[in-house]
Amino acid sequence: MGATGRTRWIARLAGATALALGLAACSGGTGASDADNSGGGDSAKEIKVVIAEYSKDHTATFWNAFKKTYEDKTGVKLNLQIISWNDIDQQASTMVQNGNPPDILNLNAYASYAKDGLLYNSDEVLTDAVKSDLIDAFVKSGTYNGKFYGMPDLSSARALFYNKDLFAKAGIAAPPKTWDEFVTDAKKVQALGGGNIGYAQPLGPEEAQAEYSIWLFNNGGDWKSDGKWTINSAKNVETLQFLKDLSVKDKVTQNNPGKTNRTDGAFPLFTSGKAGMIVGFGPLQGDLDTKFKNVKYGIAPMPTKDGSAPQTYGVTDYLMSFKKKGNQDAIKKFYELYYAKDQVNTWIKSEGFLPVTKSGLEEFSSEASLKVYLDTLPNIHLTPTDDPAWDKIKLAVQQNLGTAVSPSGDPKKVLDDLQKTAENGG
Amino acid sequence: MAFRADSKPGAVTDSPAPASSNGGGAPGAGAPATKIRKTTRGRAPWWVALIWLGPALALIFGVVIYPAIELVRASTGDYSITGLRRGSAGVDNYSHVLSHPALGTVLLNTLIWVAAVVLITIVLSLGLAQFLSKEFFGRRVVRWAVLVPWAASLVITARLFTLIFDYYHGILNVFLTSINVIDEPIDWLGNDTWTMPSMILVGVLVSIPFTAYVLLAGLNSIPDDVHEAARIDGASAWQAYRQVTFPLLRPALLVSAVLNMIYVFNSFPIVWTLNDRNPGYTHDTTITFMYKLAFKSADRDVGASAAAGVFNVLLILVAVVLYLRLVKWREEES
Repeated sequence: MGATGRTRWIARLAGATALALGLAACSGGTGASDADNSGGGDSAKEIKVVIAEYSKDHTATFWNAFKKTYEDKTGVKLNLQIISWNDIDQQASTMVQNGNPPDILNLNAYASYAKDGLLYNSDEVLTDAVKSDLIDAFVKSGTYNGKFYGMPDLSSARALFYNKDLFAKAGIAAPPKTWDEFVTDAKKVQALGGGNIGYAQPLGPEEAQAEYSIWLFNNGGDWKSDGKWTINSAKNVETLQFLKDLSVKDKVTQNNPGKTNRTDGAFPLFTSGKAGMIVGFGPLQGDLDTKFKNVKYGIAPMPTKDGSAPQTYGVTDYLMSFKKKGNQDAIKKFYELYYAKDQVNTWIKSEGFLPVTKSGLEEFSSEASLKVYLDTLPNIHLTPTDDPAWDKIKLAVQQNLGTAVSPSGDPKKVLDDLQKTAENGG
Repeated sequence: MAFRADSKPGAVTDSPAPASSNGGGAPGAGAPATKIRKTTRGRAPWWVALIWLGPALALIFGVVIYPAIELVRASTGDYSITGLRRGSAGVDNYSHVLSHPALGTVLLNTLIWVAAVVLITIVLSLGLAQFLSKEFFGRRVVRWAVLVPWAASLVITARLFTLIFDYYHGILNVFLTSINVIDEPIDWLGNDTWTMPSMILVGVLVSIPFTAYVLLAGLNSIPDDVHEAARIDGASAWQAYRQVTFPLLRPALLVSAVLNMIYVFNSFPIVWTLNDRNPGYTHDTTITFMYKLAFKSADRDVGASAAAGVFNVLLILVAVVLYLRLVKWREEES
């Protein structure tokens, strides 16, 4: 083995080292492998933007167009990553864990990130014009410890959807206004037989907190009041008992509501015309209008326990921004462009959601199909997303609420346990 | 993995290529005993050996050792819900996992899941391998068909089964009611009695191809003359199978059992997908438990999840060693 052999070894050694380094880099993080964030320097040349996928059709379309406009306008490269809702929690936490957070993250929670001191607040990255245009209810829900960190990207509100054909067949003239009427109507639909169901109730882990919130707000209850957790208040126990009775006593729901998810369980029952009523929102409406045209549906405000004014449950997601050296200016420009009327509203419209700005509210007011939501939007009732403890309580609710409505379930005990979790800080 | 552990990195002789087909030949083949060969040792210095081994070592370091170190490191960290490391947690994460109220249920589920899937798979695969080893018209097509569940992505297979099992729209309920096996539909994935059996059914289905092929290879490696001898000695078909085929198949059985134990234990997609509608931990195995600890439960704690991951590795190691002890692996080797 002579000199030529030796050079070959050296080449091999180099190859092996490169391989080792490459592998180490690969295994460094699941999903965060495209990690060249050149945050250094005085101003970032590139920002990483992680967006949740609201729909296969529209999310990528809008954000790719946005990326182009942003880059043309600012000269900063926008590194766009769209991640499905199923994976985004996991990927976001992996990014932070590896010390490589994105610059902008789109998620349904922000308070824990704010608590960890990772985020910019509105004073740092929002212009006054943008901030004053945001609907007050969303500014409030995005505010943690007196500072506004969770910038709303879009919102949605829930309402009662009912099947007009089934209502007509069952002889129901108008959608229910009280819980008693609701049960009576659901029984009538259920009595039609033929696999018809009075009310499709999704209390499985996917979004149990949403389904429960809607009902508890319409019984005058809340998760938190006056800064204290009230998860096991008498009103809330009564609400959960009512939800349990719907399936166990009144028998007006589908099979096993505590183990039914929304998108693959309850929605298909309504879109196939089998369910008399369901709590729905914009995207369901969009599906009904385009893919399931034979289902004739109406939308009504939620019934309340005692017939008082209906409360609307709303959801907003957030676009939060991470503190990194030199990216503040690029982020400020990002928000300025995002909240421009022709950007944010275009996206919200295409996804079938609701506006988060006052100017958007005006723009949307001409759409008759949204009237039922828009009227209630300024007074919308949100979950306590401004409390970091909620981020864990929400998960506890999703994982446990379903057990309360099974025939052997104990609503009071489940809520007591959740209250304990909340008081211990989640 | 455990099988290849005896190929020491130091031995850079032009060593015999390890017997390639699993369980090839009679028991005793490929034993380390044949490694003594005359070589002129010591001509090349040790670092030459290192260079040759470099790529393999780099691979092992990159995909086995480095992640393992990271896992252990994560398991001793105190993590915020956002993934931010706040400092060291010592052994808190481990005690958190050990004192978790759902741990008992989860361990029992894991035991049932692994034992049932592996056992049923092997029994069915034994029959299937026997069938596939016979000459018949269209054997090639059948062999290909058996491979399909293996080739399909597990998530897709599992998702398909959620549709088949569906209470309202699933084809299984329609089928069973129409042939009057059941009077009313069964909630296969929501009814606590049926959830685990339904998952096991899918687990068995996707494990069969691999197992059947390992056993088929084992069957093919049995020389015809032993069967012939058995026949001449007047053994009935059953006797020949029990006393000739089965003992010679033991190496293949061993391999398929151990590998299946590891695969099934680590199987995430089936349990996760079929069980995603059920609240709590009623039907979770240790693998989905680990995932829920990290991302879905109110714990939402990467550190605790990493600790659970360490326990998982230990658990499967212990299980495999126990199993090998049980079947007297050493004896088999001699």
